[in-house]
Amino acid sequence: SLASPSSLQGSELHGWRPPVDCVRANELCAAESNCSSRYRTLRQCLAGRDRNTMLANKECQAALEVLQESPLYDCRCKRGMKKELQCLQIYWSIHLGLTEGEEFYEASPYEPITSRLSDIFRLASIFSGTGADPAMSAKSNHCLDAAKACNLNENCKRLRSAYISTCNREISNFERCNRRKCHKALRQFFDRVPSEYTYRMLFCSCRDQACAERRRQTILPSCSYEDKEKPNCLDLRNLCRGDHLCRSRLADFHANCRVSYQTTTSCPSDNYQACLGSYAGMIGFDMTPNYVDSNPTSIVVSPWCSCRGSGNMEEECEKFLKDFTENPCLRNAIQAFGNGTDVNVSP
Amino acid sequence: EAVLGLYFSRDTYSEKLYIDEPVGTPLLYVHALQDARGEVPHFRLGQHLYSTYRSQPHKNDWFQINEDTGLLYLNQSLDQRALEKLSARNGGFPLLTIYLQVFLSPKPLRESDCHWPSCAKVMLSVINTTMPACSSLKPREFCFLETGLSFRIRENKPPGTFHQFRLLPVQHLCPNISISYQLLGEEALPFYSDKDTMEVNMRHSLDREEKEKYELIAKCTVWEGLREEVVMVPFPVTVYDEDDSPPNFPNGINTANAVVEYKRKEGTVLAVLQVFDADVVPSSVDIPRKYIHTMLTSDPLVNEFFRVEHSPNETSYNSNGSRVRAMMHDYKLVLNRSLPITESHSFQLGVLVNDTDYQGPGGVLHLYFNVTILPVSIRFPNISYSFSVNRNAHRYAQIGKVCIENCKEFHGVNITYKLQSLSVNCTALGIITTPESTTGNLFVNDTSMLQRPECTGMKYLVIASDRQSKKQSRTTSTISVEGNFFPEEEGCPISCAVNKRRSECEECGGLGTLMGTCQWRQGDGKGISKNYSTCTPSLKTCPDGNCDAVESRDLHICPQDCIRGDIIGGHERGEWRGIKAGYGVCNCFPEKKKCFCEPDDDKEPLCDEVCRMVI
Repeated sequence: SLASPSSLQGSELHGWRPPVDCVRANELCAAESNCSSRYRTLRQCLAGRDRNTMLANKECQAALEVLQESPLYDCRCKRGMKKELQCLQIYWSIHLGLTEGEEFYEASPYEPITSRLSDIFRLASIFSGTGADPAMSAKSNHCLDAAKACNLNENCKRLRSAYISTCNREISNFERCNRRKCHKALRQFFDRVPSEYTYRMLFCSCRDQACAERRRQTILPSCSYEDKEKPNCLDLRNLCRGDHLCRSRLADFHANCRVSYQTTTSCPSDNYQACLGSYAGMIGFDMTPNYVDSNPTSIVVSPWCSCRGSGNMEEECEKFLKDFTENPCLRNAIQAFGNGTDVNVSP
Repeated sequence: EAVLGLYFSRDTYSEKLYIDEPVGTPLLYVHALQDARGEVPHFRLGQHLYSTYRSQPHKNDWFQINEDTGLLYLNQSLDQRALEKLSARNGGFPLLTIYLQVFLSPKPLRESDCHWPSCAKVMLSVINTTMPACSSLKPREFCFLETGLSFRIRENKPPGTFHQFRLLPVQHLCPNISISYQLLGEEALPFYSDKDTMEVNMRHSLDREEKEKYELIAKCTVWEGLREEVVMVPFPVTVYDEDDSPPNFPNGINTANAVVEYKRKEGTVLAVLQVFDADVVPSSVDIPRKYIHTMLTSDPLVNEFFRVEHSPNETSYNSNGSRVRAMMHDYKLVLNRSLPITESHSFQLGVLVNDTDYQGPGGVLHLYFNVTILPVSIRFPNISYSFSVNRNAHRYAQIGKVCIENCKEFHGVNITYKLQSLSVNCTALGIITTPESTTGNLFVNDTSMLQRPECTGMKYLVIASDRQSKKQSRTTSTISVEGNFFPEEEGCPISCAVNKRRSECEECGGLGTLMGTCQWRQGDGKGISKNYSTCTPSLKTCPDGNCDAVESRDLHICPQDCIRGDIIGGHERGEWRGIKAGYGVCNCFPEKKKCFCEPDDDKEPLCDEVCRMVI
């Protein structure tokens, strides 16, 4: 899980109370007969085969209206929390009724990330003893340093060896590896190892190709990323949206890395940490992103998909793909992490 | 999807919104284009205001739209209090953008169902200050928004007005700034901008199959007193497709020949026919439902043993110098089940392909596959095999291979080999079938026979049979036993792989050795290498990265290829089993199911987890 924020930062969060998590909200709802019966009704409405007609039903509409006033409506989940999947299931059971499930950008079910990159640099300097002085290590291979730092930490080393050996195990000539298990091991690594370690490996800055190749290899792309065929990005998005966890992580990525025209960094609230966190949160799912090549300076990341075969949806597909490949917020965030710089946020 | 009716020229419209803009401030125009002549739009706003991240909607009290012109304007000023009220519902995120929905249909089923073409979103970027003074605005801000422009126009539809260049709020506030717009090179384009109204129109209807993207440049000129400034932005127009082209055969080829002979395995692709379609609709998701193929046969054998696989692929062609996307459909004739070797048949299979969305004539095509199924026979080459074996060979020594004619080409045929001894009491050999290569491997099964004087020349009958048809073929094989017998060294292990040094390796024998002694492979000593040093019964078969049929009989023969247990030291595992690459010398202990890969001199430390991993 992420380093807990020491204090709320930025004026934008003034007057806002953190919402209860959906597991807790579900318990509160269950204790009240009106709420619990409406919630049961709504779940039946949404479970129906033709959801649209079910939701047009008066009883379903009434249930939705009542629940909009309940703690279930505003509830959120935390990344890597206990019962995360259960929490997300509860969240989507209400929100799938509200949005059509076809929105380009969906609201994130996760709490906003309030910590900053500078928090990570501060912690990292304690671990490494050198600080994040870019001049000191101008010559060294940052990605190699990151791997060394991980190997010196028991937890990081253990979970890293676990995903490397899982993702490297070939099964047959036709099956490169067990992708499902590899994804699971990667999720455990990124969920359970502090971001001081994981970000250093994932977003290290590079000056030569060898370093950039190591960076590209971090998630063992031949197993976790590449596939025989490149699906259409919108088909891949539909696949991802069929899974509560993947859907949530994608929504979180869109909430935190979506290009903003109103900030200097192009990131929402100028928060790099939030963007990097939700990028890393997608690794180990159908929408796993990675560096497309080992170019040390021009950073292009993408999920394993293309816009071929989009038909009339090509524009929408390109728009979806560009949030990865040509996203100034994400690019700035990765570069800022590599340089050890963060935006100064006035309190 | 071919929805009849009007459609918006964009799916998202944008504008900036400042605090305290006066009542009546015009914001923007939305535009609807016709599907058929005579249609008149009636614009209607959705009842709610949404924010982007957390969409607890708020009733729209501030905005109105002119039903006929599509002009969106403020009917109540948005002040600081209203903004705070809206922000409070944004779940902790700063309120940066609010959006409204504009519908073309009189009454939508559900408000949340806002999708192009009949609904568009109007995104309003909320700026938490009052409108800046005209003098402080940059030329760019008078001309275009940062969000960029892009338009959607359907092919074959009546032309119409699809954009208004003017940014209404700044023009409203700063009426004295003089601005003009122009599309670069518009004389040659199907679009033109009107100097007076600043609207963009179409000259005629468009055809996607001619050009599907117009990458135009819009130029804006601003005059402030005597100063003149020019701003240019991209102005892309995408032409949307409808299914208006019938499928056809590239180069007119509608027939393909397919011969089934040795390759009879399920999944074998026998022939491919291609169908070209200039349309990109239906898209990949809808193709399985809308591009339907049917095998025209009532023959149960054909239905059982053959299937047609359809794989659509996007392709493109050149039209007057620009790239236009199209679809190429591959229809593959595939074996649905492995065909028996006795089957002999010849027929023509017709396949009907239907582009169901295409309305005109020619939406249905016929494909023809001329299929010839030839029977194959199980036959040994017309020779007798002769092999020799050394008297000192150990059990599982591989002495030769037998193979029916064309055995390398067989796929999906189940051949097994058997041995019958013609020399009574001399049953020294065994045979084992390698299914992948359809060969039989002869190996020593009983070493005691090799020393008997009556077994010096052995004769065997080799029988190959097809499991399915029970067809058989026979040949003979003579085996001569050569060399003098040497008694075994004492204290040698059963497995060659146990030996770690060259000297002990070459002194001893082990399971699988051909001459009675193991062989040493000297590696190249370059880190973790496929060519590691090791002791083996035969360099021909072990280690070769493949745990063959004989080796898999007993782990002692070649654990280097067959181990599934632990490998300690620097190494890379094989795909299924075995050591793919190792560091230094690799030796194994089959009883303990363990191998060790470490440098032969004891000076270097053991390679740990870190060096094993690809860091």
